[in-house]
Amino acid sequence: MKRLVALTMALLIIITGCSSGGKKTSGDNVAAIQEYRTAYSGEITTLNYLVTATTNEFAMAANLVDTLIDYDRYGVVQPGLATEWSLSDDNLVWTFKLREGVKWLTHDGEEYAEVTAQDFVDAMKYILNPANESKTANIAYSVIKNAEEYYNGEITDFEQVGVKALDKYTLEYTLKNPTPYFLSMLTYVCFFPVNGQFLEEAGDRFGTDNINFLYNGAYIMETFEPQNRRVLVANENYWDKENIHITKLTYIYNKEAGTLAPELFLRKEIDYADIPSDILDEWMNDPEKETQIRPNRTSFYSYFYCLNFDPQFPEEYEPGNWKIVVNNKNFRKSLFHALDRKAAMLTAEPYDPEKRISNTVTPKNFVDLEGVDYTQLGSLAELSNNDSFNEKLALEYKENALAELEGKATFPVKVLMPYNTGSSEWANRAQVVEQQMENLLGTDYIDIIIDPKPPTGFLQEVRRSGNYAFLECNWGPDYADPETYTDPFSPDGTYNWPHLAEGYKESNGKNTYENMVNGAKAEVVDIEKRYNLFAEAEAFLIGEAFIIPYAVGGGGYSASRLNPFESLYSPFGVSAERFKGQKVMEKPMNSEEFTEALEKWEKERAEALKKATK
Amino acid sequence: MLKYSFKRLFQSLITLFIVITVVFLLMRLMPEEGYFGDGYEKLDEAQREAILSSMGLRDPMHIQLKNFYLDLLSGDLGESIIYRAKVPIAQILKTKIPYSVRFGLAAMAISLIFGVSLGITMARSKNQLWDKMGTGYIVFINAVPAAIYYLFLQLYITDILKLPILFNPDRPVSWILPTISMSLGGTASYAMWMRRYMVDELNKDYVKLARAKGLRDKTIMVKHVLRNAFVPMVQYLPTSLLFTISGSIYIESLYSIPGMGGLLVDAIQRQDNTLVQALVLIYSSIGIIGLFLGDILMATLDPRIKLDRKAGAR
Amino acid sequence: MDNSLFQFAIYDESKAERTGYSNYSYWRSTVQVFMKNKVAVFLLFLMIAVLAFTMIQPYLPGQKSPTKIHIDEATNMQLRNHPPDSKFWFGTNSIGQDLWSRIWSGTRTSLLIGFFVGLWEAIIGIIVGALWGYVRRLESIITEIYNVLNNIPTTIVLILLTYIMKPSVFTMIFAMCMTGWLNMARFVRNLIVIIRDREYNLASRCLGTPTNRIITKNLLPYLVSVIMLRMALAIPAAIGYEVFLTYIGLGLPVSIPSLGNLINEGRRVMGVPSLRYQLIFPAVVLSIITISFYVIGNVFADASDPRNHV
Repeated sequence: MKRLVALTMALLIIITGCSSGGKKTSGDNVAAIQEYRTAYSGEITTLNYLVTATTNEFAMAANLVDTLIDYDRYGVVQPGLATEWSLSDDNLVWTFKLREGVKWLTHDGEEYAEVTAQDFVDAMKYILNPANESKTANIAYSVIKNAEEYYNGEITDFEQVGVKALDKYTLEYTLKNPTPYFLSMLTYVCFFPVNGQFLEEAGDRFGTDNINFLYNGAYIMETFEPQNRRVLVANENYWDKENIHITKLTYIYNKEAGTLAPELFLRKEIDYADIPSDILDEWMNDPEKETQIRPNRTSFYSYFYCLNFDPQFPEEYEPGNWKIVVNNKNFRKSLFHALDRKAAMLTAEPYDPEKRISNTVTPKNFVDLEGVDYTQLGSLAELSNNDSFNEKLALEYKENALAELEGKATFPVKVLMPYNTGSSEWANRAQVVEQQMENLLGTDYIDIIIDPKPPTGFLQEVRRSGNYAFLECNWGPDYADPETYTDPFSPDGTYNWPHLAEGYKESNGKNTYENMVNGAKAEVVDIEKRYNLFAEAEAFLIGEAFIIPYAVGGGGYSASRLNPFESLYSPFGVSAERFKGQKVMEKPMNSEEFTEALEKWEKERAEALKKATK
Repeated sequence: MLKYSFKRLFQSLITLFIVITVVFLLMRLMPEEGYFGDGYEKLDEAQREAILSSMGLRDPMHIQLKNFYLDLLSGDLGESIIYRAKVPIAQILKTKIPYSVRFGLAAMAISLIFGVSLGITMARSKNQLWDKMGTGYIVFINAVPAAIYYLFLQLYITDILKLPILFNPDRPVSWILPTISMSLGGTASYAMWMRRYMVDELNKDYVKLARAKGLRDKTIMVKHVLRNAFVPMVQYLPTSLLFTISGSIYIESLYSIPGMGGLLVDAIQRQDNTLVQALVLIYSSIGIIGLFLGDILMATLDPRIKLDRKAGAR
Repeated sequence: MDNSLFQFAIYDESKAERTGYSNYSYWRSTVQVFMKNKVAVFLLFLMIAVLAFTMIQPYLPGQKSPTKIHIDEATNMQLRNHPPDSKFWFGTNSIGQDLWSRIWSGTRTSLLIGFFVGLWEAIIGIIVGALWGYVRRLESIITEIYNVLNNIPTTIVLILLTYIMKPSVFTMIFAMCMTGWLNMARFVRNLIVIIRDREYNLASRCLGTPTNRIITKNLLPYLVSVIMLRMALAIPAAIGYEVFLTYIGLGLPVSIPSLGNLINEGRRVMGVPSLRYQLIFPAVVLSIITISFYVIGNVFADASDPRNHV
């Protein structure tokens, strides 16, 4: 039925479109002119991909420089600059065979050199030099052999670092420890190649503009005018030219893009605009505009509320009392079940808040075992399939907590909840959460104190120094493995120090959770076992209510002439930022089409992943 | 006068020195987290130290200060550390200043011409139609926050007149609206003060005398009243003129004009120390020069004003 | 002729004195002239009414808390963007807070900021400006101080202050007071420089009149009208400045309503006709305050010029 409608629509467009300048449109909603324009409000500070760790900066580099491997639109690994690769039996040495004949080009399209294995070695050498201020060096030296020692100056001979060009087209990485997720890290900027000679010539100027830059990717940056615009044109000599459909990308700067972009979209001056939640009502209620917007996909940023086990806040908020109650499981559980996450989410996502609510720390669709999603493994499945908000349970746990804590703690418990004033959404949410939880649990039980803190030095002042009782926190992955989501809760983390929770000590002096995580980390060969162990650890963390999972990032709505399901898919790295495989649509996707496409994509993805593991 | 000028200019150098030193030190009070933007979280301790020391922030304060002064003396504003990492500040400013100056001068010319004539017209027809209409305009501009009427003009005027929403260097038609919007506030304020000073002057006895002498109204206005009324406004002219290089934060953000507006605020919020220092140096120099030139201009226009006479000093 | 119709007038010293007496009082005349302007009087009363209402509004019956989030009975979720009706006179905002009470609470906050900053600006600005303009010995040192303070970007000061002191109304007032008086000082100083060497001041000096008397009796009365206008604008200017600070992200957090952040929130929904009330209501209140101050200030300035009396 849907297809029939689409077909009629397309026919209508052809018939009516003929009169307006003879633009050709095919039946599958592809625009005749494959050019894409968008407005952005955050200017990039550099093009030097070896230094940056900022998404909008490496999103640029992703389209200009290629990586060893890539992903397809289901998240299955595909060859990139490397055509084939192998892993040694001790799981430590990875060898890559490079694609021959790929060229480095200058900004005016002239050939500079061939891409060789040495380029990856030169890039690593640059990153591991502390003077170059690379913000991703730690990702590289967390896996590469001797890299951390080189960075810290304990080794001065770069030959000893685990990256080598065996010949012109053979590259070898030697790892510190067996790392099952190493391949997934290769699409991150610290594993990008760079031409050593060019880098040396450019010196500090490398990446400061489009001229001091070499291209081997799908696009070449033709114009780079900060605070004005950038123009990327398709690379004529790109090795995978058949999959590049959009010939020109134009980025227009506007500081007020949040307010102006929707208007620019309506006037057909750009092809993509985020629709902020403030004005979403208007777009949803206008039949004309409603057909032009669709939800965005969620990201792998994870948001959760932390209960602080090491309270360091001022005496007036009674940190001693908080320390007592937070170590009581019934108290924690009462908060766990009392937080109405949907009410909180309405401050960010007034339509369809459920799509961003997450019941686990590790988001859905992050990793899988032969098509079975990680969040559906073991006891994590039950948590991830049930909403934590439950008024009845919350009140039951409250009664238990009151009984157990009688005489030990004073009620109402003062719950210090700071928020960052830099985000008005967060300020709104803090107020919603305060009133919602106090209403449910009663102001004689808890007294949530919302505390406005300036964005300046927020993390250091609040979370890292333990200056809170209850706080909304977030974390993004560093590689495609569930281990990455345990980092915040490790003893050297700076989130809520769950290893200090009382009553969980085991014979080795460590807390149950820490032991579970360490056990999972030690399993590096059997992926099925590894994932299951991590899932159990995460289920324990959530089940004991050390934290309350809240949401994933991304989301919101946009008006866009791109199909989000055509884009490359990877939970980590730069692949998802690439325009490879994407086409500009004649007509933007609407919400129904999006939902339908999402379902179809999820089904196809499970199959593709199953096929890939075989 | 010359002696006075030299004295003041010399004194200005000391002021400049104090200003940039204070700003230098204030920037060092900002929390270190700010140097990393959003990336702070993902870095480990060794990296943070490496980055901070590479930015020169780990040197002892007096060394940092000394390096800063030495660079400055050799005419080097330094390189941006965050805003556009490793790009010489002079190069950043070179591309931005022309945009702001062009728009600023155009807007200033418009508001001076319209503002002053409106003010004079209003004063001459006090409490009559022109005065009331002018007052209405002034009241409106002052009452509605600029952030609102700028956005309103941009969204609706472009729609009605089919103008492009954003600034485009290649399309002169897109320059009109930003310039006009930018001049609205200035027009209102020039008109308001011009009217005020004129009304005050018109009541003075010399005007009555001039009328009694039978001078024509126009002569009185131009030769006597206007000249006197303009004196207090003239003090601000050099400052306004020089500060056109700082751009307009609202207008430039709304219309995507790649000028200087908001650059200082941005640099401060991102803690790009070198850029902040360079901008403060420039802005305070022109601020000081502006004040000085204003005084000179005022004294030139009204010879009764004596800046340097020592006699009778209190 | 009946002599009884006449009587001798006795020399009365006090009555003799009275012939040279006029019941002219500067301020009374100023008020009288001011009162003749109907618009200004109306705005003055409107202003007083608004001020009084902001003060007593929270104590009136049936008022809602400005931060309470109202829940929609039907969905059990926040009553988002509820259009104005009999229950919520100005509607609700994006998380279901009552705009009517938020606006009055915000007006209270903003007027408080405006009042203190304006007062401080007026007092310190006039004193410093007068000394700067008249006392030549102080000129170079005050010029120096002015240049230093004026050229340290307020943004740095504000960021550091909120970092050290945490975002609050007091921090805002404190930060705005630190630099707010500079413009006023320069303004007064310029005017004084213009008239300080006029003949009558020269004469006063020759007669040995003390400085403070010259400033208060010779110079300032001359400037009353312009200073009045300037002061009338100080409060709206302070509020406008707060709006600007909110725009660049240094204003008060939305959990402390103020006209600045209400307008900023409203500005984001300006393109949406059905939600525009969220911008219009705070903007109207702000406009009433600004317009009243401006018109009252201007008329009062006219009235304060003695040449307009009689």
